[in-house]
Amino acid sequence: MTATRIHDGVRRPASVSIDVDGARVDAYPGESLAAALLATGVRAFRHSQSGKPRGPFCNMGVCFECLVVVDGDAGVRACMTPVREGMRVETGSGGAG
Amino acid sequence: MERADVAVVGAGPAGLAATVVLAEHGADVVLVDEQAQSGGQIYRQPPETFTGVAFAAHAHGAELLAEADAAACRRLQRTLVWGLFEPDAAQEIALNGSAPSPTWMLGLAGEAGIDLLAVRHVLVAAGAYDLPVAFPGWTLPGVMAAGGVQAFVKSQKLLPGRRFVLAGAHPLLLLVADQLLAAGAELAAVALAQPRPGMTDALATAARLRGRVARLGAAGGPFLRLRRARVPVLFSHVVAAAEGAEAVQAAHLRSIDSAWRPTGAPDVRVECDTVALGYGFVPSTELTRQAGCVHGWRSSAGGWVTEHDEWQCASEAGISVAGEVSGVAGAEQAAEEGRVAALGILRDLGKLDEGEVARLAAPVRRRLRRLRRFSAVVQEQFEPRRDALAALADSSTIVCRCEEVTAGELRSALATHPHLGDIDAVKQLTRVGMGPCQGRFCQLTVAALTAQSTGRSIAELGAFTARPPAKPIKLGELADVEAGEMRA
Repeated sequence: MTATRIHDGVRRPASVSIDVDGARVDAYPGESLAAALLATGVRAFRHSQSGKPRGPFCNMGVCFECLVVVDGDAGVRACMTPVREGMRVETGSGGAG
Repeated sequence: MERADVAVVGAGPAGLAATVVLAEHGADVVLVDEQAQSGGQIYRQPPETFTGVAFAAHAHGAELLAEADAAACRRLQRTLVWGLFEPDAAQEIALNGSAPSPTWMLGLAGEAGIDLLAVRHVLVAAGAYDLPVAFPGWTLPGVMAAGGVQAFVKSQKLLPGRRFVLAGAHPLLLLVADQLLAAGAELAAVALAQPRPGMTDALATAARLRGRVARLGAAGGPFLRLRRARVPVLFSHVVAAAEGAEAVQAAHLRSIDSAWRPTGAPDVRVECDTVALGYGFVPSTELTRQAGCVHGWRSSAGGWVTEHDEWQCASEAGISVAGEVSGVAGAEQAAEEGRVAALGILRDLGKLDEGEVARLAAPVRRRLRRLRRFSAVVQEQFEPRRDALAALADSSTIVCRCEEVTAGELRSALATHPHLGDIDAVKQLTRVGMGPCQGRFCQLTVAALTAQSTGRSIAELGAFTARPPAKPIKLGELADVEAGEMRA
């Protein structure tokens, strides 16, 4: 795993589970989906029109590189989306187009 | 459609400080912010569900946030302002009865969908974002803005990588280095574009400035801590490439001279999984450009900035600016500008008379004068060399990440059309800037490459025309807003 959660100096709420490309993943309510995906080892959040991997760049909602599909909605910025119990996330395309 | 006296766009230092003053003097204010919580990027807070997070490093921020929490105003978080336009005839009629009539309409998109907000005055305090730099491999997962890495660490409590290379020219990079070390990350290298004496001189100057930069100087020196942690610091080096298949595996760091031109020494290859880029910041001027305000090119202040008078009023009546939109100068200056802007708005609204605003503004202006003296020096010391950064893009380097336009395609289009007079023409010709980010991540690279090719200055070439929506919104939701209410 490349990314890791920091545990010192923070108390997180009880974890919930979300579905990432069909796999059950533990995450924390309120945490950003971008953080949760990185923490579970996802690096390519989407692929560009020419098929190149892309991941979070700005982490503040302006670059549109971390787009994923959430509960069927395409083009959702993972960095701006808090994790919710039962959220269904699809990476890979992002549906940017 | 909602109504208010004043809309404040952005809940960072400038927007928070302005809202407090406006509310204190009885203005009906709506503070709109796109993030889940107020604070902006500099005072970005952890999610509400996270507890026990120390916010001690941000005494100034904590104070501002507390004052704003106590202010009597409406607050809309997680709400995008996607448009700023004048009301059309239909809206004027719909709004009749609210005298005096509103001057500006804001297009909002939040959890409840799309709405319009009619106001008499708008304060745009939209902040800034990290300066994008296009070099081979910069689109690989794992290459991130330094501000983005910092937000993961301080707000999400996440180390977004294991082994980091930090490259840049702005003091923020050293703050990020400190925060990463404290959080237990491995720093494989820190590459700074400035030579060693240049950087230490610049930091000594910066240390006199209050705000985030001062903490660096005051705390005994980030270089000392990097040395203790045995982190290699490469002065006079820029990032030249990121290498990897599905994600970053190594960064290439290139030796440069004082003008940031390659010295010819072989690149240093450093294995890493994350590259953080900190070359500077770009003011978020999309809304003021949409509204037709006059902008000026001030490279050291971040590029295109919204011009304003001594009350922070922009060229269009009813629009004010504060903070990084009017020039990147840090949190404390942003907050003082927000206070001045608020007083100017209160005068225009008739809530305070000339004498009262002059009296209330005097101490703020004294503080602002001191802050501006220092920020001008700091801006100059840390100004990025835009020509040298643009030269990092080789022919296959993607310049526009959204539309995947390469520097090679751009350069050949420019070579066959040598008479292009502005960068909007380059956009029409090559599709750069037409994707979801609306040119935020390619505009300055396109401008620098076009300047090199045409011999015109970036100031002459202008900025991309900004149109609503400033960020993509759902078409279905937009259709819910009456067609007559839209006037682009």
